[in-house]
Amino acid sequence: MAGIGIDAPGTTQLFIGNEAIARGALEAGIGFAAAYPGTPSTEIMESLASVAKKMNFYAEWSVNEKVALESAAGASFAGIRAIAAMKQNGVNVASDFLANIVMSGIGAGLVLVCCDDPSAISSSNEQDTRNIAKWLDIPLLEPGTFQEAKDMTKWAFDLAEELDTICVIRSVTRIAHARGNVKLGELPKKEHKAHFDNICPIAPTLTKFIPYPSAWLHQQLHVKLDKAREVFESSPFNWYVGPEEAELLIITCGSCWLYSLEAVKTLNLESKVGILKLGTIWPLPQKLIEKHLSKSPKILVVEEIDPFLEGNIKEMIADLPPASPHPTFYGKRSGHINAYGELNPNMVIGATARIMDITYESRPAEYSKKAAEIPFTYMPMRIMTFCPGCPHRATFWAIKNALRLDGRDGFVTGDIGCYSMAIGPAGFFQERTMYCMGAGAGVANGLGKLAQFGFNQPVLAVCGDSTFFHATIPALINGVYNHSNFTLVILDNSATAMTGFQPHPGTGITAMGETTRVVDIEDLCHSLGVQVDVCDPFDLENTTATLLKAIAENGGPRVVIMRRECELVRARREKKPLYKVHVDPDKCLGEACGCNRLCTSAFSCPGLIWDKDAGKAKIDEVICASCGICADICPQGAIIKEAV
Amino acid sequence: MDMKVKGSKELLTEVIDTGLCTLCGACAGSCPYLVSYKGRIVLLDNCTLSEGQCYQYCPRTCTDMDAISRQVLGMPYSSDELGVTKEVLMARSTDANIKGRAQYGGTVTTILSLALEEGLVDGAILTRMSDDKTPSAFLARSRKEILQGAGSNYMACPVLEVLNHIPKDSTERMGVVAMPCQVLALSKMRNEPPQDRMNIGNVKLVVGLFCTWALSLNGFHQFLHENLDLPRVIKFDIPPPPANRFDAYTSSGKISFPLDEIRKFIMPACTYCLDMTSEFADISVGSVEGIEGWNTVIVRTDVGADLMKMAKKKGKLEVNILPPENLAHLKEASLLKKKRALKEIITKSGDRKNLLYVGLQESIIDNLLA
Amino acid sequence: MKTLTKDPLNLIIAGVGGQGNVMISLLIGKAFVRQGYFVTIGETYGASQRSGSVMSHLRISRESQYSPSIPNGRADIILGMEPVETLRILQQFGNSDVITITNSRLVYAVGMEYPSLDKVAEAIKGLSARLWLIDATDEAAKLGDPVFANMILIGTLIGSGILPIDRESIELSLQESSPREKLDANMLAFNKGMELVNRG
Repeated sequence: MAGIGIDAPGTTQLFIGNEAIARGALEAGIGFAAAYPGTPSTEIMESLASVAKKMNFYAEWSVNEKVALESAAGASFAGIRAIAAMKQNGVNVASDFLANIVMSGIGAGLVLVCCDDPSAISSSNEQDTRNIAKWLDIPLLEPGTFQEAKDMTKWAFDLAEELDTICVIRSVTRIAHARGNVKLGELPKKEHKAHFDNICPIAPTLTKFIPYPSAWLHQQLHVKLDKAREVFESSPFNWYVGPEEAELLIITCGSCWLYSLEAVKTLNLESKVGILKLGTIWPLPQKLIEKHLSKSPKILVVEEIDPFLEGNIKEMIADLPPASPHPTFYGKRSGHINAYGELNPNMVIGATARIMDITYESRPAEYSKKAAEIPFTYMPMRIMTFCPGCPHRATFWAIKNALRLDGRDGFVTGDIGCYSMAIGPAGFFQERTMYCMGAGAGVANGLGKLAQFGFNQPVLAVCGDSTFFHATIPALINGVYNHSNFTLVILDNSATAMTGFQPHPGTGITAMGETTRVVDIEDLCHSLGVQVDVCDPFDLENTTATLLKAIAENGGPRVVIMRRECELVRARREKKPLYKVHVDPDKCLGEACGCNRLCTSAFSCPGLIWDKDAGKAKIDEVICASCGICADICPQGAIIKEAV
Repeated sequence: MDMKVKGSKELLTEVIDTGLCTLCGACAGSCPYLVSYKGRIVLLDNCTLSEGQCYQYCPRTCTDMDAISRQVLGMPYSSDELGVTKEVLMARSTDANIKGRAQYGGTVTTILSLALEEGLVDGAILTRMSDDKTPSAFLARSRKEILQGAGSNYMACPVLEVLNHIPKDSTERMGVVAMPCQVLALSKMRNEPPQDRMNIGNVKLVVGLFCTWALSLNGFHQFLHENLDLPRVIKFDIPPPPANRFDAYTSSGKISFPLDEIRKFIMPACTYCLDMTSEFADISVGSVEGIEGWNTVIVRTDVGADLMKMAKKKGKLEVNILPPENLAHLKEASLLKKKRALKEIITKSGDRKNLLYVGLQESIIDNLLA
Repeated sequence: MKTLTKDPLNLIIAGVGGQGNVMISLLIGKAFVRQGYFVTIGETYGASQRSGSVMSHLRISRESQYSPSIPNGRADIILGMEPVETLRILQQFGNSDVITITNSRLVYAVGMEYPSLDKVAEAIKGLSARLWLIDATDEAAKLGDPVFANMILIGTLIGSGILPIDRESIELSLQESSPREKLDANMLAFNKGMELVNRG
């Protein structure tokens, strides 16, 4: 992580959006940060945690996002500025607390950063979390540049205190993970002093920090938002570029600001098309918008995921005097911009060109033709697969074999993590349901109660070790309490791997690098009275046998823990491989083996490739992690592993 | 009959999923995808090959009985009830040890021990009763191990899986004790030797067993488990009609079950089997109805004949003529199985011209249906 | 000081996850920021660790910040760490003026039929105004570790003269990000890259 704590105000750094947000929080003088790893938000906490000790504030990986927001709120109540960061699903998990805290108000500035993942590139679902602002009455800001990500975050704490309510910053992947110029500001040098004030300004015996009485507080919340709207009308985060009167006005926000700017420039329409870029998204700065609406007959709204601005601007227009201008709207509702999936500059260029009725060619037609003629066989698709040496590959191979041997059409329910790739060829298509954190065990609970309707298929729920702490424990307890018949497979690779190997309660290390007590998964399961087996997935025979035994049983849930460290974590630490692996070309029979290339087609590890010229399997030494599992797969014993 | 060799997908759809699979084990272990497990054949991965040895040597896919008979026995497929025979005898072991362990006369154990002693084979593939009283196939390399194989198991066991696991460069000569379906699979292999596997020519001796039907490990083991104290079981026996019993001998005595209660565990595949006496073996061995402690022995090849002669000469076996009523009865039973099976095959296929897996001469079909 | 041949200058680094495209983009990006340019870098994350196709988009401008996504058909320079990825990027982002530098080492896609290098190289040539095909991985192996391929490719990029930054800029960037003991080895690889591009 580039040093977000650099004490060099006025200099320009190349920060990713997440680092810029973290820097903004530092410049606002936070004392507390809490988060749960989630792409594309993870680097916010990672960079904060990396400087927390040096800069005398506290940062933690919480067990889940609800606890993260609640603990940040705790700090806020005691007068410490606090930030909580999460991806869109995290906001869902934290939403109950969020819906409550908007009622009560806060202590010191409290800011929630939500990073959406359009197209769900690294998520289970796609959703536009800005809707939460309208749903729960929360002021929401959306940065359009990397500089703004920092400046907005810094300001958000002041705003939160001015309004006495939590504020949300919404980012997306293309801001969060992209890098750009950020000019640094001053780092405050102040001492944090924490104290929970037991005196309520309204009635001394009543506390402030309750959402009660709700209806009255709800009305107060509306007053707060009216005040926010006032502030937003003159905010420097909203601006207009373009002619005084424009043929087309693009209203945009967030990552789409730079796309729109580039679209207008590429099409040479600077004199005809104006862009109103909003940074204060909710409540809408109505007067500002109204002023610009009157200057253009055509409006194109460009934003990521939902027609949030689009729909709300149209709603706003309904309240305007009847004589007000009624421009033609283009956007998601008209089909000019996709109402799903991630946007990119090409779409905005295309929509603008279409509306302005001009043709645009990004490159000469003959080049495009030549490019289109390249056979698709020259560019095979790379499927997402487990890393070479990943214990999940071995686990799902054992699961596949166990389920087939069992023969009752068993299947796996799962959720989100590296192991989600088991829905595809990487995990031999074993995972048959995949939803949010903890959903695997949740869904299994239901299935495990269907015996009375003739259900007898073995159900295996899988979850990761971090996921176990985040959301699976209640589902396991439910299974014990309601006597549901399923097997929970906990993939314990000692990391929150998918998001970048962050520590969690089972690893014994905190976000700030301190050792702490390990919460032992086995002990926890034992305390529930469930049968627990621990396997090393690299021991395929024993793992398969243990799984077979577990799924053959009946009664409440049982747990099988697959314990082996994530290969990337191990390799980084130990710097040498487990084995030396190679294929003996004399033993490998190639196509003649009759095994239908079991090693390369069925097992699909990227380190084991098919050498077309030799007609045999081969280890790709650059990719292979030397875990040695494939040696057990070859029927000819042609894959040799030697201990190093 | 379609003589095209197909792949594992068709093995599933034409044999395993249609109730034709006898669990002979010819496919199991022929590649890493196919294994046997608790009385079933399991395909662990999806193989996309359109042709495979799993399909080729399965005794329930395109089997030309006449071609096989000519290759293995040097004679056309016989219309005789007992198939090609040189001699039909009755025999029993002279060894008290063997007799003590034997189901009937101990002939199979004696023959194998002799073959091992004389260096005709280096090992034999047999089944023995495992601790949970289910049969398990193994490779015996000593007289002591061969003795472990004595006794009948009544449950289907994928014996040929053991053969498939023998390394391809092995030079060990093998004997195999097999059921009729397994003998048929072996014969298909002898007819068209498998590539990249142990040389089938190393199988020097095939001892076939008489078989009316076999019980499915799947359901039957559960039945035994529920009705018996399994650790105390010593052996099983189905005495000849009219006893109509399944007997379990335990350390505290005999427990009998009505045979009708056991019939529901018969492998569905046995309904479609035409061979009661292992017609392609070197020697076929069974019981003698009504005469305890003796075996019926059918000698079919020179290998079989030479071995029987040696056994008699060395005093290992006591040999007698099989009483005519027994021979007649045996022929009747064997013919009945053929007729019934053919009828069932035609009922299943719905077409007299489609005999599912088996190719027979028209004259033979006519005779059996008459 | 050299100036940009075009504003913004659009550079795409294409490769397979885990090859180090992020490191390269950062090194180059920082060198430009130090010289007062606006730099935007867009990355494909998620697929990165897990052998997926990845690309880094670099926008370099004197005038303003640009979006992290280069529009289709608007790449000026393509630095490829793997030939098939280079071709994939050219198909979408190339144009008649694009300059291509690519590693020659194929990285196989699991379970898929892979094309031969000759075919791929020919197709790359047909879509590039200028092309350098560099055996970066082999040269890196000679230097002791295939991971040096990255520095070799950066060397070729700088050595080609198509970017207005020089060796010293890169060395400064490296000093910031690379551990002391690795600096010399990295600069050796970098020099090798400069040498290779002047040869070819």
